[in-house]
Amino acid sequence: MGVLQEKDKEYLRNEFSKLKNDVRLILFTQEDGCTYCSDEKMLMDELSSLSPKIKVEYYDYGGQADKKDTYKVDKFPALIIEGAKDYGIRYYGIPAGYEFASVIEDIMDVSQGTTNLSDNSKTRLKAINRPVRIQVFVTPSCPYCPKAVRTAHKIAIENEFVTADMVEATEFPDISNRYSVQSVPKIVVNDDVEFVGALPEDQFVDGVLSALEQH
Amino acid sequence: MLLSDLTIEKTKEKPSCESYDCVIIGGGPAGLTAGIYTARARLKTLLLEEKAIGGEIVVADIVENYPGFPKGISGSDLTSAMEEQARSFGVEICEVGAHSIAVEGDDRIVNTTDDRRIVSKAVIIAAGTESVKLNVKGEKQFTGRGVSYCAQCDGAFFRDKEAIVIGGGDTAIGDAIFLTRFVRKLSVVHRRDKLRAEKILQEKAFGIPIIEFIWDSVVTEIKGAKTVQAVDIKNLKTGTSSTKRTDGVFIFIGTKPNTLFVKDIVTLNESGYIITTSEMGTNVPGIFAAGDVREKTVRQVSTAVGDGATAGAAVQRYIERLETVRE
Repeated sequence: MGVLQEKDKEYLRNEFSKLKNDVRLILFTQEDGCTYCSDEKMLMDELSSLSPKIKVEYYDYGGQADKKDTYKVDKFPALIIEGAKDYGIRYYGIPAGYEFASVIEDIMDVSQGTTNLSDNSKTRLKAINRPVRIQVFVTPSCPYCPKAVRTAHKIAIENEFVTADMVEATEFPDISNRYSVQSVPKIVVNDDVEFVGALPEDQFVDGVLSALEQH
Repeated sequence: MLLSDLTIEKTKEKPSCESYDCVIIGGGPAGLTAGIYTARARLKTLLLEEKAIGGEIVVADIVENYPGFPKGISGSDLTSAMEEQARSFGVEICEVGAHSIAVEGDDRIVNTTDDRRIVSKAVIIAAGTESVKLNVKGEKQFTGRGVSYCAQCDGAFFRDKEAIVIGGGDTAIGDAIFLTRFVRKLSVVHRRDKLRAEKILQEKAFGIPIIEFIWDSVVTEIKGAKTVQAVDIKNLKTGTSSTKRTDGVFIFIGTKPNTLFVKDIVTLNESGYIITTSEMGTNVPGIFAAGDVREKTVRQVSTAVGDGATAGAAVQRYIERLETVRE
């Protein structure tokens, strides 16, 4: 039983043997009105079974308002991947299909507390001195989306003011409509700047920094 | 989709070494096949792919003309199997782009987009193609707001809506068929009076009642407010123009080669494709090209695979000669 194939589990066990700090997968779900909550729970259980360093925590979105506030999550299912601290990595909607790869890579990164962003990007990101929220809208069938999600999440790891959300667009049609999402990946920064496509790292950083110039 | 189809990326974020026997630029069918051949020849092989492993075919809903899969196979399943095969023989795959290639004596240098310098004995350019823009008013403004170049990625946003597909080739018609899973009505706008797509795809498309064909016509403007609402269509035969209501515009009018980064080093034809010999050699010894990126008439997974095998074997012979001369 389970969702992962044995050969994938073996690959992941080996990858996870390189983990440094413990990683917590914190998942907010709700019994009613959530198509993929139980699937995502099953997936997280399976991931945590592959390494003693991966722990899971489950919260009820409706019933545990204090936790919801602590993590500032505003919809469900919501997944937070936390390392030595909460780096601001969020997944809204199930990270299935191509996005599953992003979860694995995020786990590796938060455990180390570092990313492979270029030195130039890391220096430029230091200019961010107030809260920035990056939303990356995706669909699970989009092969170009994980790159955008990962770039946003790496930026969140590198800068404490940044929160970066993956938003599975088809699970949140109202929010997708609000931002007129009809192609993915679509990136929205602080409601002020938006762009479409998995841009190269330097251009992605340009986009995020340009949000600071607004207002 | 979803839980039955979890992708586990095994691509590294940076190369583990500074020198290789063969660097392959591009991770589509041509590059992956070349890697299978060079790795089996025990050449130390690095494959660079900037976007998504699998190349352009990765977003094909179904590939029915690649031998060995009588029921067809999705582009992503096909290329992830190729990837697994290449990896199993030792090809190292990295998520980095190539910025330029240089020649220094017997060394071929690949400079990457993350400012790394990789030394190799041989290079195979298998960088493929990318989709061409329509270049009409409104296209840029509505990109991501109804204008799309990826049916697989964005089809779900057009559930119960109306969309148009521009183009008449295999990709256009294959994706038009795919989009009918979502849309209420689909119009194919094509500038000629017949399609270029495979006959079998044409027959399938003609048999779907919700697909309408608008022949001899081009889209001259994409209009809307927040998102796309309509397109202006001009009939090239009669010269008359009309406005058609639509929610989405999928553009598949052709491709152009990803050769800007090598234009100063290898000879290109006037359309930008790399000119090669039948053994995939370019004008520069030790630099080869394979797949859609080179000048040829048939751009299919099956021909890309053939190119990749030929290039991989050519690299092996080239390196053997190089080493004989040195001895």
